[in-house]
Amino acid sequence: MTDFSKDNAPLLEVDRLSVDYSLKAVSARAIENVSFGLRAGEAVALVGESGSGKTTTAMAIAGLLSANALVSGGEVRYRGERLPIDDDAAMRPHRWSETSVVFQGAMNALNPVHRIIKQIAEPCRLKLRMSRGEATARARELLELVGIPADRGTAYPHELSGGMRQRVMIAMALACRPSIVIGDEPTTALDVITQAQILKLLGDLRSRLNLALILITHDLSVVAEACDRVMIMYSGRIVEDGTVGEIFAKPKHPYTKLLIDSIPNPAKGKRMIRPIPGDPPNLVSRPSGCAFHPRCPSAMAVCTTEVPSLDPLGCGRVACHLHQSLTQEDKIAAHA
Amino acid sequence: MSQHIGRILFRAFVTLLMVTTLNFILFRVIPGDPSALLLSGARISVTPEQIEAQRQSWGLDRPLFPDQVVDYLSATLRGDFGYSFKFRGRHVVDLILERLPATIALVGLAQLIAIVCGVMLGLYAGWRRGGAVDHVATGASLALYSTPSFWVAMILVVIFSTALGWLPGYGAYSPGANSLLDYLRHLALPVTAVALGLIGQYVVVARAAMSDVVSEDYMVTARAKGLTNGQMLMRHAFRNAMLPVVTLITLNLGYVVAGAITVEAVFAWPGVGGLTVEALNARDYPVLQGIFLLLGASIVVANLMADLAYGLLDPRVR
Amino acid sequence: MSESSVPYSTHRRVQAFKGFLRQFLGHGGAQLGFVCLVCFLVLAAVPNILVGPLQTAVNATGDFLVPPSGQHLLGTDEVGRDVLNLVVHGARISLTIALLATVISLIVGATVGMTAGYFGHWADVWLMRLTDFFFVVPSFVLALVITPVVLEVMGRGRDILGFRPSIFVIIVVIGLTSWAFVARIVRSQTLSLKERTFVDRARVAGTSNLSIMLKHILPNLVPQIAANGALVVAGAIYVETSLSFLGLGDPLQPSWGTLLALAQRAGAASAGAWWYLGAPGICVLMVSLSFVLIGNALDDTFNPRRRVIP
Repeated sequence: MTDFSKDNAPLLEVDRLSVDYSLKAVSARAIENVSFGLRAGEAVALVGESGSGKTTTAMAIAGLLSANALVSGGEVRYRGERLPIDDDAAMRPHRWSETSVVFQGAMNALNPVHRIIKQIAEPCRLKLRMSRGEATARARELLELVGIPADRGTAYPHELSGGMRQRVMIAMALACRPSIVIGDEPTTALDVITQAQILKLLGDLRSRLNLALILITHDLSVVAEACDRVMIMYSGRIVEDGTVGEIFAKPKHPYTKLLIDSIPNPAKGKRMIRPIPGDPPNLVSRPSGCAFHPRCPSAMAVCTTEVPSLDPLGCGRVACHLHQSLTQEDKIAAHA
Repeated sequence: MSQHIGRILFRAFVTLLMVTTLNFILFRVIPGDPSALLLSGARISVTPEQIEAQRQSWGLDRPLFPDQVVDYLSATLRGDFGYSFKFRGRHVVDLILERLPATIALVGLAQLIAIVCGVMLGLYAGWRRGGAVDHVATGASLALYSTPSFWVAMILVVIFSTALGWLPGYGAYSPGANSLLDYLRHLALPVTAVALGLIGQYVVVARAAMSDVVSEDYMVTARAKGLTNGQMLMRHAFRNAMLPVVTLITLNLGYVVAGAITVEAVFAWPGVGGLTVEALNARDYPVLQGIFLLLGASIVVANLMADLAYGLLDPRVR
Repeated sequence: MSESSVPYSTHRRVQAFKGFLRQFLGHGGAQLGFVCLVCFLVLAAVPNILVGPLQTAVNATGDFLVPPSGQHLLGTDEVGRDVLNLVVHGARISLTIALLATVISLIVGATVGMTAGYFGHWADVWLMRLTDFFFVVPSFVLALVITPVVLEVMGRGRDILGFRPSIFVIIVVIGLTSWAFVARIVRSQTLSLKERTFVDRARVAGTSNLSIMLKHILPNLVPQIAANGALVVAGAIYVETSLSFLGLGDPLQPSWGTLLALAQRAGAASAGAWWYLGAPGICVLMVSLSFVLIGNALDDTFNPRRRVIP
């Protein structure tokens, strides 16, 4: 596929990854056949409703799958090397030093009983084997880097505002100089102004430190500001992948179109939020064929029986039978 | 902060005041002249001088309010609870103080054992939720939690004293013996009975606290940081899980004296519990009142300590 | 939780109830507790049919302290009464006391909690101060000093509904000292409920405070009251057993706690009469555990906290 060309070796490759969650009696497929690549310094957004598999994808990359998750197919490669994402202990050395995470709602993501400086310094001490003094000095540096006076380090999380806590979280994520930072809805709990500040901070840090950024969100407006590329997920599969400009100007998948239509845009005179009709699919009994067909305004007969493959189209990829005719040969090859 | 402490102190004061008020009311509700009760209810001969002393200390010849109330309050504040019916006019305070050490030995040792065993077991069960230890510990502690500890005490006596003959099941000393070892042997079964009841509680609470902590977001952060399970437990889970546990333990310090009453009754342990049973059987109201005040005071003090301990451990309260 | 508390049609209520029942009975613990409890309720309902009338020292059928045998399945006590007979009749007394005390406790707790939460201001301050007291001082400690005094005041009157008056004293004392926990929970629920739109709507429509509380708020408190009610019963059993064990029970209508007190006085433990003290104790354990399990299952059903998929 286009992104995996040899001369432009990606930092991270997700290759046909499938993850199942085992529930009491049944097992639910959270993501299926997810493939994409990420280059150093690139900012990619994973967008979808809750249950679309965006968080599972991110947690798999970070090696943070829960105990009832099973990697049922595919793999994740970091700098060409396979990551042991299904082995908690073997994954430990990779965590935070290669990929770190900025979690949503930093109030609960920070330990309430420890001072923030200690929490930022912790990975430095444990992973980089720094002395207490070195780790504290590094933590102070990091605080200044994210725009918090270093002396505030003695504060406890509850003494800080939401935006400040999110900055602390970002400082903590940078502690071991990772090359990829995953933002798991990093601005969800914040007001609009703080949201913009945090996104700007992430953008600045990204260009300053050449960080690759994976932003998980359900909010397309966040994407437009901070990312180069967008991947739209629906019911555990990537349905469309393209540059931000491409996706917003010429969405190809009917689901993407509906998503973009549902953004309130007063400038265009669209005041009302137009929700997408129907409910997100149940992961245990997913609709046959294209999972979106029950809600799709342009569903065809073939959509109910056959899963569309994610095929290159233009400078992106799309998984929809409407666009399938163009790449019929690829599809036959994929089936073989 | 000072406002916080002020409110805590005020609450403690109100609770103590209500305990005292209840004491005052209850005693005056009893039909007939208390001094007559002293004769009939106690079924023990008392000298007229003692009745007179009693009447005077109660001030029963004066109006109920304000005289009697004021007198009662000032007597209580001075630690004067009057004379016992049963024990031939002995001071209630002396009786209680005499019995207190035995209870403190019993309850203190039981607490120590229960804290070490129960809290560790509960924290471990919550950490490894759904594991074999969790299932066994949860089942056993729910059963212990639902069982009156005096019944556990009786079963212990049947097994270890009557059937096996390993440990004494009665009193605090063997006749003639006066060694520490003998005392400890007598202490073994009562302590086990009280401790088992406490362990049931501590396991339930520590497990719940730990399994709440395990599902907290900051534990995911800790895991994402690449910490080992041991580091996650010691650096992030332990202290957070201990917050409710420490509160419960401190609160319990106030309740165990009351909880040990029935166990003391089983073993005829010469503590406050034993005294309570004797006072109940003889309808020795002054002693009962004194014990009630002691229990109330220890509960209030334990509550105070729990509030302060929580403030020390949890930066959010400070 | 939030959606299910909005009043809706009878049909949806029935649907919701069925769904709840399915989930509740899915708990292994709840099943166990439920079955166990039904058995004991049957024992308590018809003791005379099952084991004949209560045996006394006069009509005792056996020798003293005989171990279990074909004739006396659970042995006999120190005056030759059949322990099975005593325990089955004890079920009636113990369960009556525990359940009636719980009813009192729930009524007082719900009333105090709702009044404090709904009216706020001074009602809230004073009622909660009172609640704090009963919350801090355990029912057992209060009952320990109140019961003997009330027994003394009441004297020994005539039987009420076949139960001796001393039993009612214990019921009322336990009920009036164990409501604080319920009151706290009901208050906090009421505080959030009274901000909801359907209460506003009723208020705007001119509905009186009392009928808002009874028709709109109380029905939505049922889940909390039920879950805690089960735990209150377990607590009441504990307090009753302890009080009776300390000699405050009625020896003529012995509860399980009274039986344990009699066993203790007869020296059953040192005589190795394990059946005599074992039988009532196991009953207490089973009934109490059943209520705890049911309470936990109810709590779990109403507050689903754990999610399986992140």
